[in-house]
Amino acid sequence: MELNRRNFISLMVGGVAGLHITPLPWKLTDDIAIWTQNWPWVPVPPVGAFNKVKSVCTLCPGGCGIEVRRVDERAVKIEGRTDFPVNPGGICPVGMGGLQLLYNEDIRFTRPMKRVGPRGSGQFADISWKEALGLLGERLSGLRKAGTPEAIAAIDGNPCRSTISTLIERLLKALGSPNYLRTPSVEDTYSLVNLIMQGTEGPMAYDIENSDFILSFGSGLIDGWGSPGRMINAWGMWREPEMRGKVKVVQVEPRASNTASKADQWIPVLPGTEAALALGMAHVIIKEGLYNREFVNGFTSGFGEWSSLVMKQYSPTQSAKITGCQADEITALARAFAKSKAPVALCGRGKGTLNGSLYEFMCIQSLNALTGGLNRIGGVLVHEPLPLGPLPEVTFDEVSRAGIQKARLDQAGTPRFPYAQSLTSLFSKAVFEGKEPAVDTLLVFGGNPVHTLPDGGLFRKALRNIPFVVSFSAFRDDTAMFADLILPDHSYLEKMDESIWPAGIQYPLYALSRPVVKPLYDTQHCGDTILHLAKQMGGSIAASFPWKGYEEILKQRVKGLFDSAKGLVTYKGTNPVWKTMQKTQEVTPDYKSFDEMWNKLKSGGLWFRPAHSYGRWDTIFKTATGKFEFLSSRLQLAVQSYLRQNQADIALAGMGIGAGADAACLPHYEEVKQAFNAKDYPLTMVPYEIINIASGWIASPPHLNKTIFDDQLLKEDSFAEINPKTASQLGLKEGDLVFIESPAGRIQVRINLFDGAMPGAVFVPLGFGHIGYDEFTKGKGANPNYIISPQMDPLSGQPVWWKTPVKIIKV
Amino acid sequence: MDSAMIPEGVKRCSPKVFFLWTIPWIGLLMWGLLSAALCLFKGLNQTNMTDYFAFAVWIVVDLAIIALGAGAFFTGFLTYIVGKKELKDIINAAVIIGFICYSGAVAMLGIDIGQPIRGWFIFWHVNVHSMLAEVSFCITCYLGVLAIEYLPIILENRQIQKVRTLRLAGENLHGIMAVFAATGAFLSFFHQGSLGGLFGVMYARPFDIRGGFYVWPWTFFLFILSAMAAGPSFTILCTKLTEKISRKRLVPEKAFQTLAKISGWLLSLYVVLKILDTIVWAFGDVPRAGLTFMDFFKEGPYGVWLLVCEILVFGVVPAIILMTPSARKSEGWLITGCLMNCTGIVLNRFTFTIVSLAIPVMPFDKFVSYLPTWQEWGISFAVIGYGFLLFSLSYRYLPVFPKEKELNAAAKQPA
Amino acid sequence: MEKKHGPAKGNSYGMVIDLDKCTGCGTCMVACSAENNLAVRPDESDKQRSITWMRLYKVTNGKEFPHAEVSYFPRPCMHCDHHTPCVSVCPATATETDYHTGIVSQIYTRCIGCRYCMAACPYHARTFNWWDGYFPKGKGLERYLSPEVSPRMRGVVEKCTFCHHRLMRAKTQAYAEERKELEEGEYITACTEACPAQAITFGDLNNPEHKVTRLAKSPYAFRLLERLGTEPKVYYISTKDWVRKLGDNYLPGEFKPISTVKAG
Repeated sequence: MELNRRNFISLMVGGVAGLHITPLPWKLTDDIAIWTQNWPWVPVPPVGAFNKVKSVCTLCPGGCGIEVRRVDERAVKIEGRTDFPVNPGGICPVGMGGLQLLYNEDIRFTRPMKRVGPRGSGQFADISWKEALGLLGERLSGLRKAGTPEAIAAIDGNPCRSTISTLIERLLKALGSPNYLRTPSVEDTYSLVNLIMQGTEGPMAYDIENSDFILSFGSGLIDGWGSPGRMINAWGMWREPEMRGKVKVVQVEPRASNTASKADQWIPVLPGTEAALALGMAHVIIKEGLYNREFVNGFTSGFGEWSSLVMKQYSPTQSAKITGCQADEITALARAFAKSKAPVALCGRGKGTLNGSLYEFMCIQSLNALTGGLNRIGGVLVHEPLPLGPLPEVTFDEVSRAGIQKARLDQAGTPRFPYAQSLTSLFSKAVFEGKEPAVDTLLVFGGNPVHTLPDGGLFRKALRNIPFVVSFSAFRDDTAMFADLILPDHSYLEKMDESIWPAGIQYPLYALSRPVVKPLYDTQHCGDTILHLAKQMGGSIAASFPWKGYEEILKQRVKGLFDSAKGLVTYKGTNPVWKTMQKTQEVTPDYKSFDEMWNKLKSGGLWFRPAHSYGRWDTIFKTATGKFEFLSSRLQLAVQSYLRQNQADIALAGMGIGAGADAACLPHYEEVKQAFNAKDYPLTMVPYEIINIASGWIASPPHLNKTIFDDQLLKEDSFAEINPKTASQLGLKEGDLVFIESPAGRIQVRINLFDGAMPGAVFVPLGFGHIGYDEFTKGKGANPNYIISPQMDPLSGQPVWWKTPVKIIKV
Repeated sequence: MDSAMIPEGVKRCSPKVFFLWTIPWIGLLMWGLLSAALCLFKGLNQTNMTDYFAFAVWIVVDLAIIALGAGAFFTGFLTYIVGKKELKDIINAAVIIGFICYSGAVAMLGIDIGQPIRGWFIFWHVNVHSMLAEVSFCITCYLGVLAIEYLPIILENRQIQKVRTLRLAGENLHGIMAVFAATGAFLSFFHQGSLGGLFGVMYARPFDIRGGFYVWPWTFFLFILSAMAAGPSFTILCTKLTEKISRKRLVPEKAFQTLAKISGWLLSLYVVLKILDTIVWAFGDVPRAGLTFMDFFKEGPYGVWLLVCEILVFGVVPAIILMTPSARKSEGWLITGCLMNCTGIVLNRFTFTIVSLAIPVMPFDKFVSYLPTWQEWGISFAVIGYGFLLFSLSYRYLPVFPKEKELNAAAKQPA
Repeated sequence: MEKKHGPAKGNSYGMVIDLDKCTGCGTCMVACSAENNLAVRPDESDKQRSITWMRLYKVTNGKEFPHAEVSYFPRPCMHCDHHTPCVSVCPATATETDYHTGIVSQIYTRCIGCRYCMAACPYHARTFNWWDGYFPKGKGLERYLSPEVSPRMRGVVEKCTFCHHRLMRAKTQAYAEERKELEEGEYITACTEACPAQAITFGDLNNPEHKVTRLAKSPYAFRLLERLGTEPKVYYISTKDWVRKLGDNYLPGEFKPISTVKAG
């Protein structure tokens, strides 16, 4: 057959027709459709046996119980535990997203590293553990040999009184340095108030579930304060249909936060004037005789002095003038508070990631004293600290003995700052301003001070004067970016650690987290790293750390709980502890031996004491007078000792006290002094915290980015909230890109008009503006901490971060 | 070779001029192909469509060209079924325009869906309740019909005519064209309607919701009517444009007048019904949803002007022009009328697609705006490029206008 | 011969979200994301393209300082009943209302990505995969994915399924224990379980014993855009008139405030 055109066309047509009769085109169509359903680049999660591991979340001091769902060895979901007394089933969004902190390789350090690029560049090279510890050991030994162990400093962000913190402090002592610092937290201020007014060392324990009037001065009760799992659960309970009208929640703060909006009443006060409101209320309560006479007359000291101060200076009208609210509002609030059955006044600020103001907290605690709310059901319970077993004394050698006698760089504990434990701002200042490097080696533990310290970036600047920075962080956090050596910790789901008395909880609780998965990388438990370091350095240092592993230390501490013979290790979840406590004074341990207790604890368990003996006003206060002190004898002592060295008025001014000698030892309002002309900086910047952005050490898990509204973060810009009226005066519109400038610097944000923002203030969220971590977090938004010009809170010396004079400039 | 392809007895420009003429259209097509490749390989993130604007410029263009391409079915219907013989002189053009519009629309839809490779699931796993399924079925079938209608025109090419079988095939097809015209009309009634129904059945979108007859919301009938009104106008426009560009008379005036008259009367009927529909909607469906008429016209740039433009300016005015014999007999007014008619229908399709998605339904939802990316424009413009290209090729090599020779011989027009 | 049956035994799973309890913390969103293998992109601030099955809407009462107030609407899929807006429009039957559970499903492997369902849904409960899921090599993010829910491919629509896999899980358990019916609380969604305020109640709206059924009858209960006739199976409760008013569109004077009942 000849292939002419006609035949060719026939062949083509026939071919096409024929092809369609064959299965080929249909099969191909089907196959590529199946291919789109199984694209090789779409991950297929491996199947396996489901199992659950119970543990405790240690991402924040809240200590919620978690249950991790696993497929074989792989963790796939974190859920709240219902058999844990802190949080009946719910957890916060950060904890919920925790697996992204475990399984995201880019935000973690996977092995020890040393810096190779310039500081801040995040360029590191892998080294072995042996090399890394060797490097650090040599450096520390060198400083000790040179007789300058005080040039070693540590900054620690681990929870207060935790074993790991104890160990770090111990390491510094053994090395011979007094410069152990902790990042400021609200716990510092709480401890100080308890010490100064009650002489107690236990934590602040609010029995809010049993209260019928919760008056919160700035604590973000549902914005992440305390233990979020507990607080939000309580909130839901108060909003049960059958509870409507039975519990009243009042929130005092300058911004309509979630807590303020969802509370029964919101009282906006000018930033930093909460104390004046509390005093105005105290005035009404005293004047109208609404206070608890039994308690005030019988178990307090200095009431006379304080009440005359309050009567003279803080009438509702005077208070209204300071706070910006209405006098009759103050009066009504005072009456409602005092006439409630079980009112409680909470002091705090936001989540409590940062410190509060000492005098302010004293004023607020005084309201609890006035209403007899101390150690009463639904009030503030007075506790001893957890009876954890003590560690043996540190072994000193000559170098360390001499070293720890040297002055702390931050002046904490000196007569000027008598009760301060550590003052990071002053530390940074000393390091930054020092001609010679005051610190040679800085060890950073469990915190991210570059990001979290409210010091206008001073710490970051101070790092330039520190030749060697060592990070023990699990994360590529902002501070680690400036480190020279990385000794990475496990992530929280890979290690055993403790949850010590979750923040704000009204009963003693100690829980152990357990490794949910085996460590994924070549990281090491920070506690073990310290032990290895000490062992390697030998001598008195090794002698101070005689333990084989971190677990052994935990065990030794837990032995103290066992010895107290007063707790339980099982919680069934049927009856909430705050209910049981009302009727239980003592509990008999539900374990027979220490080993039994320890094993139960180790399997993600807890030890707690669901009992309390209320009242006992005659014995609970450990002050000089044995009473609750409105007029604090501890403060008197401190002020006097400082006065001895200085002239009275100068001395008081030196301590930051502007109220005069009479008021210095009494709860009173201190106006924050600003060193700048109000005309230059007409607005007040108030940083605020929200629950769905981690604002402390850890980064927000990426899932949380979905929860952030586009008027909080848009691409690279975070937003500052400002009242529409203030904005229109400044000619600003929604979404405008602006600089917020303070004497310490400027940040770039967008404007979000918000009617819930107090006029004249600019509210900037904390937790944005990271320079560390990975693409989900890095470079997003602005960090207000960088422009806080830190004034000093009188007496406590901690930074005043809640009020910074600023101006707004359009970009 | 080129001259051998050109139909006998007509003059066409030189291959060089023709090539230059095609360059911009090929350019548009290339832009579109690049955009399409990006969308197919990287996904629809190449567009500015969002979860709010699930339908966007592509759907507007799709709806618009399907409405404008309705000239094919409707002229066919008039020619073969009603028996308007004078329209035989324009039917070829109408068919080609229809084919361009429909094939362009189907190609765009292929890119618009997120999983084009499984597009055939519409047929395999069909949901008969879905207006979109009906649209897909009818469009696909009708595109086949259009292809069959187009085929005899292609077979009339001088070179193809030389092959006996093909010539015979073409002639036979011609003979049974009425069957396809009827099928096309039937399919078109349905999918034009379903395209309207597409919106009318979205009962949770108060902007779209309409009452109706049995399963068909009023938009179903309005869309058929408006497509029938706009299609012929668009055929007139395209033919007039060809006449202008080729500087020849191609179609006898009578055909234009017949189409224009029918277009005008249908448009006026449509406008009356559309006004009634709008009133019923504004006083019935809207308040029932708890909204007021103005709630739909206060966000962003979408004001009442849109409705005024659509119905009055580009509805009532062209209807009057096309219905008035003296007006439509003037070429200027005829073109103006047709152009306004088409604009009105495009505006209608735009409103139903974009405005209905842009207006938030939940009281706490917010209005968001949308602007297409260059990729989206690329694909939209590619249809225009493709249309020009295919129509130019058809015009150059096929005897699209049967009266061309006659008209130009009589007028002795220069080529 | 026709056999007499009792009332339909089918379940109608639904949800009641108490907005008085909701604190706007976003745990429900995170729990949902984690449970259902939602991919997270480096930038999630474009909310019109961010995939969320449970989305939180922030609302304000529109008053000036100091009377301004914020509240939240957590919005899962409403799982509209019978004539579901999205199901009826899907050309490829990729989404269906299950008559035994009332759950509106989404079949990702059948979805062709035409997005008609998204246009039809007034709640924006449906989101489209504009990108491939973000699981770059070497980051290891895919390690937390749960095998119970298949990750989606680019170009398809996804939405809340009321954690359908949890229903399967609960049923498997029940069948293993030779039970045919599930107990109340045996099957709950991830958001319900996670909510620290216990603002979400989940259960069978056809079962008068279930708490949801009782709560849904509260005078303070309402549904979103109820008057459109979508018949959502998600109810909201709020004692605040301004919040309830935001649940639907009202002509002036149509909305009837409920005077707040004083509990006693």
